[in-house]
Amino acid sequence: MYKYVIRRLLFALPVLLLSSLIVFGLMRVMPGDALVALMGESGNVGQRELAKLRKDLGLDRPYHEQYLIWVWQMVSLNPGDSIFTNEPIAVALKKSIPVTLELATLAMVLGLVIAIPIGVLSATRQDTPSDYVGRVVAVSGLSLPDFWLGTLVITFAAIWFHWIPPIGYVTFWESPWRNLQQFLLPAAVLGFRLSAATMRMTRSTLLEVLREDYVRTAWAKGLEGRIVVYKHALKNALIPVVTIVGGQMATLLAGAVVVETIFALPGMGRLTVEAILFRDYPVVQTNVMLVAATLVTLNLLVDLTYAWLDPRIRYG
Amino acid sequence: MPADTPRRIAVRKRKHVNRRDFLRRVGWGGVGATALVVGAGRAGAATPPASTYPDWIPASPKPPKRGGVLTRASAWDPPVIDPRLTQSVGLFQFAGLTSNRLVRHPFSDEAAGPSDLTLKGDLAESWTASPDHRVWTFKLRQGVKWQRVPPLNGRDLVAADVKYCFEAYAREGVQAFTFQEIEGMETPDKYTLRVHLHTSNVLFPQNLAEPVAVIFAREVLEEDGDLKKRMPGTGPYILKEHTRKVRVVLQRNPDYFDKGRPYVDEYVILSTPDAATRLAAFRTGQSDIIWLASPSEVETVRKTNPAIVVQSYHNTLAPFGLALAQDRPPFNDVRVRRAVSMAIDRQRQVDTVYEGHGIAGWGVPYIYYQDKAPTVKDLGPWWQYRPEEAKRLLAEAGHPRGFETTLFYYEYFPQMTSQVQLVQQELKKNLNIDVKITKLDYTTYYGRYVEGKWDGMSWGFQSGHAVGLDERTYHYMHSKSTKNFFRVNDPVIDELTTKLRQTPDRAEQRALTRKIVDREFDQVLRMWMPYDNGFLVFQPHMRNVAAGALRRTDGYGSPTLARSWIDK
Repeated sequence: MYKYVIRRLLFALPVLLLSSLIVFGLMRVMPGDALVALMGESGNVGQRELAKLRKDLGLDRPYHEQYLIWVWQMVSLNPGDSIFTNEPIAVALKKSIPVTLELATLAMVLGLVIAIPIGVLSATRQDTPSDYVGRVVAVSGLSLPDFWLGTLVITFAAIWFHWIPPIGYVTFWESPWRNLQQFLLPAAVLGFRLSAATMRMTRSTLLEVLREDYVRTAWAKGLEGRIVVYKHALKNALIPVVTIVGGQMATLLAGAVVVETIFALPGMGRLTVEAILFRDYPVVQTNVMLVAATLVTLNLLVDLTYAWLDPRIRYG
Repeated sequence: MPADTPRRIAVRKRKHVNRRDFLRRVGWGGVGATALVVGAGRAGAATPPASTYPDWIPASPKPPKRGGVLTRASAWDPPVIDPRLTQSVGLFQFAGLTSNRLVRHPFSDEAAGPSDLTLKGDLAESWTASPDHRVWTFKLRQGVKWQRVPPLNGRDLVAADVKYCFEAYAREGVQAFTFQEIEGMETPDKYTLRVHLHTSNVLFPQNLAEPVAVIFAREVLEEDGDLKKRMPGTGPYILKEHTRKVRVVLQRNPDYFDKGRPYVDEYVILSTPDAATRLAAFRTGQSDIIWLASPSEVETVRKTNPAIVVQSYHNTLAPFGLALAQDRPPFNDVRVRRAVSMAIDRQRQVDTVYEGHGIAGWGVPYIYYQDKAPTVKDLGPWWQYRPEEAKRLLAEAGHPRGFETTLFYYEYFPQMTSQVQLVQQELKKNLNIDVKITKLDYTTYYGRYVEGKWDGMSWGFQSGHAVGLDERTYHYMHSKSTKNFFRVNDPVIDELTTKLRQTPDRAEQRALTRKIVDREFDQVLRMWMPYDNGFLVFQPHMRNVAAGALRRTDGYGSPTLARSWIDK
């Protein structure tokens, strides 16, 4: 098991290295830079002055030098400062990571709480109205884009209930109630999409498992339906669901960009998009590497979960 | 397995819905939902004439009340708070409240109307010019104190502070062009600042009234090396909190020199990038002020919030237009520029894209040369929609079969894309000009546009913050100016804009400005495009928040809020 984990971690290194090269290269290929964007609203900065600023920030150095400096900063866990705001990136991340983490966790929890029971219901009542409703909800979740759903939710909440989540983020520790009010709707919007894929996967794998011989045996033994479904069938049906949920993390992070913008939450998504738009190289590079590392870790955790779900799986 | 148990089969038979039933039910559901959405849309589409709302809301006759919190959901978030480094509206939506300028335009409770441009003293009590308008002497208001926060701790403002600030602006940053006009400064006493200019400029005080010319604290620059973290000033509000992408909180300055003001205790600006969320925040009372672009949007809000107060705004200028590479073929030929201009139906853009509540487009604020906003007809022969004449002129210029060109732009607001596409269609239909459009992200667009080396066309802009006559003429049109983004290179314009700076008489200034504008229109030097007027919408308890002609209360016109109060 340990050997397996170490081997997987070693495999992650070239993945991260490649990611770093891609993101570094892409940022340099894009036209314009942070200084141009910063001066954007005014437009009366001379080329000489811009050149001086670029030199001060090390943007005039050869690319390989810039890359090596950045890699060293990442390795030494000191990603430097934002070109655009001058704020240390570590500080910006410290503020934005908890927001996205809270949003993603709540979305994941809401998504699973909705998806798994409905998926089970849909599978056990195949081709009944409740199955159709479940499937329509699932297809809707897959088809409706986050930006549309989010906008609709906030607009109609304002019109019908004269209420929207309070704007102006506060941390959970400052005001738990206000914080939850701010996160519930965006998490529901984000979780709805996640629940759709999970619901469909739960339904189809459970249907498959319910047709297995050992389940038939369980029915034949006269076991209660709840025990057969939840204890014998569902656990085995969950392996592909776990894979889907693990993979959905990337979708969740992508969706967070839109949802954070609509619900005015200062998370990683907004930080990254703004940094891309304003060519804030160090921020984009650090954030992308952080996401890459998170996904690599999550994939590893998903693989390790298989062994817990199915004791026949062994890692050598 | 459960799906096959006898009980389940029986239940399924009872509840069975075949696919046809299911599709029928979903179909009716869909029709219902569509009707709901269409109904909602129709409600919004009933557009009243824009004139139903006043363009000026006079100051309240009631005695102002102290207290309360003013909140606004804002699209803008300041990238940095250093006024030397940015002229972003994100910063100046509040910098005019934390800091002062030497001179300013009137507040809404002082102004006779939206076009009142009389300069008032802000930190300066009075100002005079030498006969040749090269030396300007400003007498500062005495007893003005910096805010009681470190490192200033409430010390007196003196002339040396202003001198230091102007020198810093001239040395580096985005305001360098304006302040490099200063040859030198002296402070004969603690409260007198004498400014020597390189050349005469009767409009110099106007440049100091621009919202970006705020006086910052020398101690902060000396201690921090920049102004990115702290912003103590002399203004009515103290910057209490600035959390990027969350909020800006301003707290009443009890030591503000204008005794008794400001009236509102706290002003909170909530960073809200999404337009639908800003609207929802206004509807639910989380925001007290909102800007809406179209009459139909106002009507939609009135349905849920009938008590709102609406000011119909009327822009005095358009910041966007077609910028042509007029230093090279084919646009260096005035006949081509005129033909292109005549092939574009501006009124159609106003009527369709802006629902009739827009301006035809011009670059110099009309209030400097005439009393009423121009219509398309007032803009001269080359700005009328005359496709046949345009075709003839283009043929005369040697392009009877049209030509191919490019147009790049950044979508500052959704209507802009509609305008770009309308222009593309009309140039193809009327002149057989094939325009290849490239939509860029902001940084790419901005970098390419200001570099000024592009070919073809761009949907160009001139900075939105400035409204002063000098800025809008000399700074933006003189061939030697670094702000001349439209690449105007016309000796007549150079001569007229320079002469304007040496003309103290207001009537003569108006006449000269008229000549500059006529020349610009005749030569089609900047091909302005229609722009929205929009509406400022307030919660019913807001008082004295109306915007003047020059700037909206929610953006660069933020100093107006020093006189606003909440009637609750």
